[in-house]
Amino acid sequence: MRTDRIGGSPNRVGGIGRVTGSQQYVADIRLQDVLEVKLVTLDCARARIISIDTSAAEQVPGVLLVMTAAHLPQPVPRFGPQFSDRPIIAVGETKYHGEPVAAVAAETKDAAEAAARLVKVEYEELPAIFSVAAALDPAAVLVQDPALRPNDPLAGTNVLREHRFGWADVEATGADLVVENAYTFPIVTHFAIEPHAFMAAPDGDGIAVWSSIQHPNWLQKILSQILGLPLAKVRVYAPDPGGGFGGKQHTKLEPLVAFMALRTGRPVRLILTLDETFQAVRRTSAEVRVRTGFMSDGTLAFQDVEANYLIGAYADIADRVVSKGSYPAAGPYRVPAVRIVSRSVLSHTTPATAFRGFGNPQVNWAVESNIDEGARALGIDRLEIRLRNLARKGEAFIPVDTPADGDWEQTVRRAAELIGWGTPLPPGRGRGLALGIKSGPTTGLSYATVRLLADGSVIVYAGTSDMGQGARTVFAQIAATELGAPLDWITVVMGDTAVVPYDQQTSASRSTVLMGNAILRACQSIQAQLRTMAARLHGIDEADIVVEGGVVRLPDRELSIIDVLKPGLGRLGGELVGNGEMRKDAEPDHPLSGSAAFFEFNCTAIEAEVDQDTGDVILVRYVTVSDVGKALNPLQVTMQDEGAAIQGLGHTLMEHFIFDDKGRIRNLGAIDYRIPTSMDLPLDMQSAIVENADGPGPYGSKGMSEGALLCVAPAVAAAVRDATGVAIRDLPLTPERVWRALRDRSTS
Amino acid sequence: MSEMIQTVLIELTVNGRRRALTVAANHTLLDVLRDDLELTGTKECCLVGECGACTVSLDGRIVDSCLVLAVEADRAQVTTVEGLAVDGHVSPLQQAFLDKGAVQCGFCIPGQLVAAHALLAENPHPTVPEIQEGLAGNLCRCACYQQITEAVLATAEGTDR
Amino acid sequence: MHTFAYARPATLAEAVALLEAHGPAARLLAGGTDLVIRLRDGTARPAVVIDVKQIAELRPAIHEDGGRLVISAGTVMTDVASDERVRRSFPALAEAAAVVGSVQIRNRATLVGNVCNASPAADTAPSLLVYDATVVAEGPGGTRRIPVDDFFVRSGVTTLARGEIVTAIELPLPARKMGAVHMRRTRRRGHDLASVTLCCGVDDAEVTRLAYGSVGPRPVLMIDESGVLADPAAADEAKAPIFERMFADASPSPRSMRASPEYRLAMLRVLGARALRTAIDRLAQG
Repeated sequence: MRTDRIGGSPNRVGGIGRVTGSQQYVADIRLQDVLEVKLVTLDCARARIISIDTSAAEQVPGVLLVMTAAHLPQPVPRFGPQFSDRPIIAVGETKYHGEPVAAVAAETKDAAEAAARLVKVEYEELPAIFSVAAALDPAAVLVQDPALRPNDPLAGTNVLREHRFGWADVEATGADLVVENAYTFPIVTHFAIEPHAFMAAPDGDGIAVWSSIQHPNWLQKILSQILGLPLAKVRVYAPDPGGGFGGKQHTKLEPLVAFMALRTGRPVRLILTLDETFQAVRRTSAEVRVRTGFMSDGTLAFQDVEANYLIGAYADIADRVVSKGSYPAAGPYRVPAVRIVSRSVLSHTTPATAFRGFGNPQVNWAVESNIDEGARALGIDRLEIRLRNLARKGEAFIPVDTPADGDWEQTVRRAAELIGWGTPLPPGRGRGLALGIKSGPTTGLSYATVRLLADGSVIVYAGTSDMGQGARTVFAQIAATELGAPLDWITVVMGDTAVVPYDQQTSASRSTVLMGNAILRACQSIQAQLRTMAARLHGIDEADIVVEGGVVRLPDRELSIIDVLKPGLGRLGGELVGNGEMRKDAEPDHPLSGSAAFFEFNCTAIEAEVDQDTGDVILVRYVTVSDVGKALNPLQVTMQDEGAAIQGLGHTLMEHFIFDDKGRIRNLGAIDYRIPTSMDLPLDMQSAIVENADGPGPYGSKGMSEGALLCVAPAVAAAVRDATGVAIRDLPLTPERVWRALRDRSTS
Repeated sequence: MSEMIQTVLIELTVNGRRRALTVAANHTLLDVLRDDLELTGTKECCLVGECGACTVSLDGRIVDSCLVLAVEADRAQVTTVEGLAVDGHVSPLQQAFLDKGAVQCGFCIPGQLVAAHALLAENPHPTVPEIQEGLAGNLCRCACYQQITEAVLATAEGTDR
Repeated sequence: MHTFAYARPATLAEAVALLEAHGPAARLLAGGTDLVIRLRDGTARPAVVIDVKQIAELRPAIHEDGGRLVISAGTVMTDVASDERVRRSFPALAEAAAVVGSVQIRNRATLVGNVCNASPAADTAPSLLVYDATVVAEGPGGTRRIPVDDFFVRSGVTTLARGEIVTAIELPLPARKMGAVHMRRTRRRGHDLASVTLCCGVDDAEVTRLAYGSVGPRPVLMIDESGVLADPAAADEAKAPIFERMFADASPSPRSMRASPEYRLAMLRVLGARALRTAIDRLAQG
């Protein structure tokens, strides 16, 4: 099998640009006459803006504009993917540490910085809410103006939405053992190595916008609405982002930059500093209370989950994070009775948004840890208890949703085998295991266009954002497989709404399935045209012709595609164009508006040692296994799984925002916000996949890349508990936290 | 007696090419490489010398260019990612990064490559811990660390021939 | 970044003259790994930045002179950590220099710069104290030799006078055999600032020198001449009160983000005991 085709691991398409430094990220693109933008923010979590004096700033040579809310259409437009709650720039009040109150556009970065420092904001610091308890206090100030939520019974509270899922009646369900605990999941930030980058320029009678955005079409729609321009006059360029992880999904500062471009008549450029990205995006943190009922044989009787997710001052996509993340909180198990209550709780903090795993790692941390504890209390092996309850393929483990779509037991047994579950451990070591599940996209729409050019080379137009996961490569591999062109004869065009047809978004590990299928269908359309061509050329019935694997099969012989294409196009030349669409429509009666296209399922098993004097957790062996349907590019699959696992070690062992008593983030920046380095890896790490071609994507593939992150924290904590006897229910498991838990255990 | 100056004329060699330019005293080597010399391969991220995205080689040693004032690079030899290719072909190390899947989003990769090149120049046959330590100043959020290490090992093995 | 005048003196005399003229309005630039961050975040706003790297007398060099190893002001951590003579005679200093930041940082950060910054968490400070280093300063009044224990005052403050510039660190070549080790506590295995940094040295006269940092305004050196700590056969119960006396003045800041005072004080004791055991072993191995 040629390695260019699906199942092979050809070198990354777009890799050469990345290793030579010629890859152009947004910040590398040079626009003529561009103005540099610098944001003005306040050093407090929440403040009432009394006045903004821009006069001194405007005097700085080279400054063209100091934009504030007063310069925008009134009332200042608001936007957001779920609720239009976020103003383009702060209006009257800043609601989180870092919310911009003004923005300077100047000829140089130096001038913009100097001017930004001279903008005088008179403000009154106000008390800020930055914890679930503070937000839910009946006497708490309201983060969001109730007028933004008319007819909402919760408008007088800081609960943006409350979701209730489940089935049967947990109160009426008996159990031999009930384990009840409270867990916390910290506030962490994406820390993509490429900070968010935005540019805008007037473009004839429209506007052009460059953004590190993962969802260019969604951005286009929002800009079109805010600017009052037709979609066809809003061109969004979305170069491959330097890491997204969900933090670049939704519109942030593009509207501000667009207004500045239109007002100055010049291109403008805003590149955030790393510190500013911490203030722009974060994961939705959570406090989760789980009550798990077990029978004495280890079967689950009920799961009763209450999850309060702390979202930021503006909703972004965080409420969807909460609903979609908590919906499968009961896990990939057979559970007779389930009650899930989850809330998105507003606070004066950085707007929480999507982050790899969405809202699932938070509840999975709690639910899997509880199962670990239940197994111990019942004296049942922690692998065994999971296998006993694991949903079987085809089982409707969540009523009214997609049944279990994989042989998940195979994944679990593989992980157990690789870690050597059940074999003797040296003293001082512990083992932990966790399962995790996440719903893929619940609705979706992707279009693709494929052009087969006269010489057999191919152009694929796909609106997916390749932020490192390798979508470009996989799409090229599909085209290579279907149309027989070698990979270096295939160009994949992405990231330009004027050229590339509509794609809803890049998220939820959806693109291999949704866009992949769209591309497959576009290729199939071309294949149909080739059949027609061959039938015409050779006087054969179309029904007797098959086009596959890059060849055209006639009843009596095989021809290469090019041997049909060239004569078929004739002297005028030309090309064949195929369009493909993959659509997953909403199901209005479904609690999430749609059932899962597929599930990501992962099992992670860990062997760890704990230095009981210092609290250091040493991950000796790490195994992660995912159920992927079909690995279209096995190397990329490995990279995604291992990458997700190591990223998950961040929130598990070291990452968290530290607030001061006024709600300001103290550890902005790379020195005091620690992420895993090359020296923080497990000593031995292995990943494996299960492939049963049982996914809805091309060739039986499923989406993947988030599953491996779901299980990191519960597996590590379970291993720590196994090694030390101590259960820790708050993340991250920093050395100090582990040390404290060990010390408290021995003194209690 | 040396002068007090706000802008300085510096001469330096970048990727083998002699450059002369006037720089502001408070601009960093990173600023000058990206903005004045239009070598945008070197990236800007943390600006505190933690992430290594701005790594370049300065007189044969890797440094975080965000912490080097441009004026300090006067009369220096600087190598950036753009200077790693040999006769227009990617170097064996660059090829190994591609072959071993060590590249995801790619934003940290220029810094990783410059650091890895320097590591191999010092230590042609590093062990895994030596590679991890040598590249610990280059953060990768996509967490390609294992693949990057394999790429460096593969390149080191290739130099036996 | 803050705007400043940039000076690049070619001689020590020029540098001293500039320092004397500008006083606190001037900052010295060696490796820049600390200063450039401060220039950018506004915590340093000098009128003049004096780049010392072209000063002939300060060029990177490690050489022996009259029973001392002399490390010039321009010498970077990478070279301190890899120098054969440092590794042989002052291994704990080599260990400390090897963990200051990443390779990129170590290729720029100077040992002298690290000392002059006077961060309580400076990783090289504890071993310099244990090894009885001397800071050599040049100023309007001539040359001064300041024992490093008399050099640190508190965070960011040293006993350098106006117009003085440190030209070298001198380490007396050991008259006695010593086993010594540097240890620290960090939040991850990758490079990090230390929440406790510590050096313990035991010599063949049974004197134990233990220096620690990041648990108070400045690094501290404590010495035990009783021989109890140095004695591998002595019980932990006998050593404990001596350790307690040594750590009595540790006062970690409650405001630190890196670790709580409680944890730091506990780790001081854990690292102290571990470092002592290692120092004793290294002394025995010669």
